[in-house]
Amino acid sequence: MTAAIEVVGVARSFRQSGGVFGADRIIRAVDGVSFAVESGTCLGIVGESGCGKSTLARLILGLLPTTAGEILVQGQRLSDMDRRARARLIQPVFQDPFSSLNPRRHIRDIVAMPLVAQGITGREQSARVDEMLTRVGLPGSIADRLPAQLSGGQRQRVAIARALVLRPRIVVCDEPTSALDVSVQAQILNLLAELQRELGLTYVFISHNLAVVEHISDRVAVMYLGRMVEQATTDDLFAAPKHPYTRALLASVLTPEPGLGVPDVGLGDLYPDPANVPPGCRFHPRCPIAEARCAVETPAPREIEGRRVECLLA
Amino acid sequence: MLEAPLAHLPLLDVSGLRVQFGETVAAVRGIDIQVRRGETHCLVGESGCGKSVSALAVMGLLARGAHRSADQMRFDGQDIQNLSSSALQKLRGDRMAMIFQEPMTSLNPAYTVGSQMAEVLSRHRGTTRRQGLERAAELLARVGITAPGLRLAQYPHQLSGGLRQRVMIAMALMCDPELLIADEPTTALDVTVQAQILRLLQTLQRELGLAILLITHDLGVVARIAHRVSVMYTGKVVETATAESLFAAPRHPYTQGLLACVPIPGKIKRGDPLGSIPGTVPRIAPGFQGCGFRDRCAHAMPSCAGPIPLRDDGLGHLHLCQLEAGFA
Repeated sequence: MTAAIEVVGVARSFRQSGGVFGADRIIRAVDGVSFAVESGTCLGIVGESGCGKSTLARLILGLLPTTAGEILVQGQRLSDMDRRARARLIQPVFQDPFSSLNPRRHIRDIVAMPLVAQGITGREQSARVDEMLTRVGLPGSIADRLPAQLSGGQRQRVAIARALVLRPRIVVCDEPTSALDVSVQAQILNLLAELQRELGLTYVFISHNLAVVEHISDRVAVMYLGRMVEQATTDDLFAAPKHPYTRALLASVLTPEPGLGVPDVGLGDLYPDPANVPPGCRFHPRCPIAEARCAVETPAPREIEGRRVECLLA
Repeated sequence: MLEAPLAHLPLLDVSGLRVQFGETVAAVRGIDIQVRRGETHCLVGESGCGKSVSALAVMGLLARGAHRSADQMRFDGQDIQNLSSSALQKLRGDRMAMIFQEPMTSLNPAYTVGSQMAEVLSRHRGTTRRQGLERAAELLARVGITAPGLRLAQYPHQLSGGLRQRVMIAMALMCDPELLIADEPTTALDVTVQAQILRLLQTLQRELGLAILLITHDLGVVARIAHRVSVMYTGKVVETATAESLFAAPRHPYTQGLLACVPIPGKIKRGDPLGSIPGTVPRIAPGFQGCGFRDRCAHAMPSCAGPIPLRDDGLGHLHLCQLEAGFA
């Protein structure tokens, strides 16, 4: 198998203005991340808000330039590709189907937009739009409606149709079901899984919902303050998490099983600040098993039993 | 005055609650809610099912244009349906308090945490600002905020989401409420913080004997925190039971469908589809007859368009359906 995406030491920082008198602060949203996604598989990326997972999505999509490192898509450097070539290979599905669709455009035009950008017009364009709308389970009558006339689930189907109309190899889904109700979420997850099987797509699936990620991903990467602290196959990660942060995240999943009560996650109240990354292991202020050296030594990624973990104590 | 306190009666006792918006939308179509002291009652359902509107109706906080009616609305034995707005205002924030989903929009961005919290007490108890701030500091510490003195002087935007929700909870507790209505209190928070906030609510309930009416769409939250659960669909409570009974043996086809939609790590094989409910939620206008779920229900039959019986198993597990329990 070949890697559809290879990310090597990628970093991205932002400058946050400190106001008139304050000093500017540097926010390291993504801080040296490496991973690969095999063709036809799904990599789930999980983490709390502010961990850099959405910035990473935008880097992979080429919507943001990196400050360091390299992203290879199907063996080609992303930075060498022009926008059109990139769009043919890799497409996004975003969280909020209410703000990601132009409210003044008809559904047909929204789905056709990537084709227009590639210079595909006329009969071929409308045939591909119709085919794609059917493919994502929308009735043809919807093509002449506006986004406001659609339900949340229908809008997300439109967003998926738009992403797939160019027949890309890779789809980056950033919280694609977070704004949806559970019954609709299940429909969209089933659709994404079906499309992946039939079209051989590669997914990068970003979510804060671990149960959703477990269901759809082959591998899972856990992000914390801009780093990937653990990467493993989904089965390994959920069966025996190695990093204490992964353990806390898994413990906090509330499954509909009464009698188990609300777990004590044991992370304390210190919320991480990406502008003020702690020295040593960046998780140590919240870590329930931290030792003195964790505040000094920076853990390097280590391969343990087929997974990659960044923890001095793992 | 009665001799014995009405401890065995529900603290909140609402029956036949209806809310209509104009002539076109029937948001709540005759529901009963009871919450006892020390009990958490969860109102669960998908968006548009009327759960939030029900909570707002109980608090008398509906927007203008909404029409509310009920057979009965009692708080601690007292009728709150026909209460004057000033009498209701005295009750709200004092004996019954409410917290909302998005603490950033419910806190005033222009005032410090301390002055917003102190205002609650001065309004209901006529205390001084200093007394208010002391009480606020005490409660911030109570909800697990370190350095409460520092937080009192800060503005809402200076706090993280989890801290803001803790501030909201502390503010709701200023006057020692007996009933806390929480509308999606953890939906905007990270999972790790969600667990902390839910644990906090449980602790507060144990220590203060709070009655909690918790509104959520998250069945995981419901399973872990609820004593009783009411499942809402198209403005009706379609099933109500203890959490154990509901999750062990859901009886209404909608509840069964909803539970099948939730991915549970390790329970469903990857590659197998999740359960899902076909179709979409219908719009329900006033005068709608029969079961609101019948267009999406696999068990629907002609009689579903007629009156629907409320079935009771005699052990407090009720469901609104033509069918007896036991199919799946």
